[in-house]
Amino acid sequence: MEQLFNLEGPLLLIIKIGVILFLLLYIVFAGVVTRQVRVMTETINVGFEKPIQLFAFFHFIFAVVVFVLALILL
Amino acid sequence: MPDIFDSNNIGSKDVEKPVINSKNISSQNGAQGKTKSLKTPEDNNRHTLPGHSHNPLTAFNYYPDKTKFVNQDSEEKIVLVLRRHPITNINWILIAFVMFITPSFFTLISPFDALPGGFQLVLNLVWYLITTAFILEEFLNWFFNVNIITDERIIEVDFVNLLYREITDANIDQIQDVTVEVSGGPRTFFGYGNVLIQTAAEIPKITFDAVPKPDMVARIIRDLRLEEEQEKLEGRVR
Repeated sequence: MEQLFNLEGPLLLIIKIGVILFLLLYIVFAGVVTRQVRVMTETINVGFEKPIQLFAFFHFIFAVVVFVLALILL
Repeated sequence: MPDIFDSNNIGSKDVEKPVINSKNISSQNGAQGKTKSLKTPEDNNRHTLPGHSHNPLTAFNYYPDKTKFVNQDSEEKIVLVLRRHPITNINWILIAFVMFITPSFFTLISPFDALPGGFQLVLNLVWYLITTAFILEEFLNWFFNVNIITDERIIEVDFVNLLYREITDANIDQIQDVTVEVSGGPRTFFGYGNVLIQTAAEIPKITFDAVPKPDMVARIIRDLRLEEEQEKLEGRVR
């Protein structure tokens, strides 16, 4: 936080706000992907639904974790 | 379909059961005049059929075991499930690999190197998030772009992107023309191509893009059309 008061401070603040906004949107996107994967696996079922749904779910969790990390570290 | 129906064959064994030896599958090509039908589970166990697979990621599955789709009729049998040939994934796999190793070079860029450690870590993670989304989108695009041929109809599931999908189907008896298109070195070498199906349905053309063994696909559709014609003649239409 001290760096925000340096010459580079405003730039870092812009980066921080940009990254957090991006991650918020990304979480929404990851949620939509998870939902879409579920809909698609209901549309067509070939016996590989669980791994794909898990992958989409972990992708969503990964997005949330990065968002929380960004809030803590930035 | 007057172009495929030969009234001389009514009652003959070939029309009643358009099925013969599976050895013909490997030797088939679209140019040959004498066409022969493929094996079906009525002949023997489906697990021994050529083209049958238990791999859910296969691009060509003849009489699959576990596949089901929405709006499938209770008596409808899935004959063939197709996806784009796996080799068509090579482009995005290479791009994903480059994206994956790119953060190693971030520190060479001076503005990035000047950022505090926390910013560097988060930006790296954001990059990997984007990479993951790219891989997921491309994989799902391949996995869910499925073409299904049942004994009653053909279905094309188009997963255009993560937020848009389209499902088209046409009855087998609405098929008017099937064209196989194999052009270019990679397609000839790896044996995949497009199958263009002209139909009398609302959607006039259904395209199976870059599917493996396009000649075999065309032959399976032809056999199903013959079978459908025969069912109509015998009054067995569902």
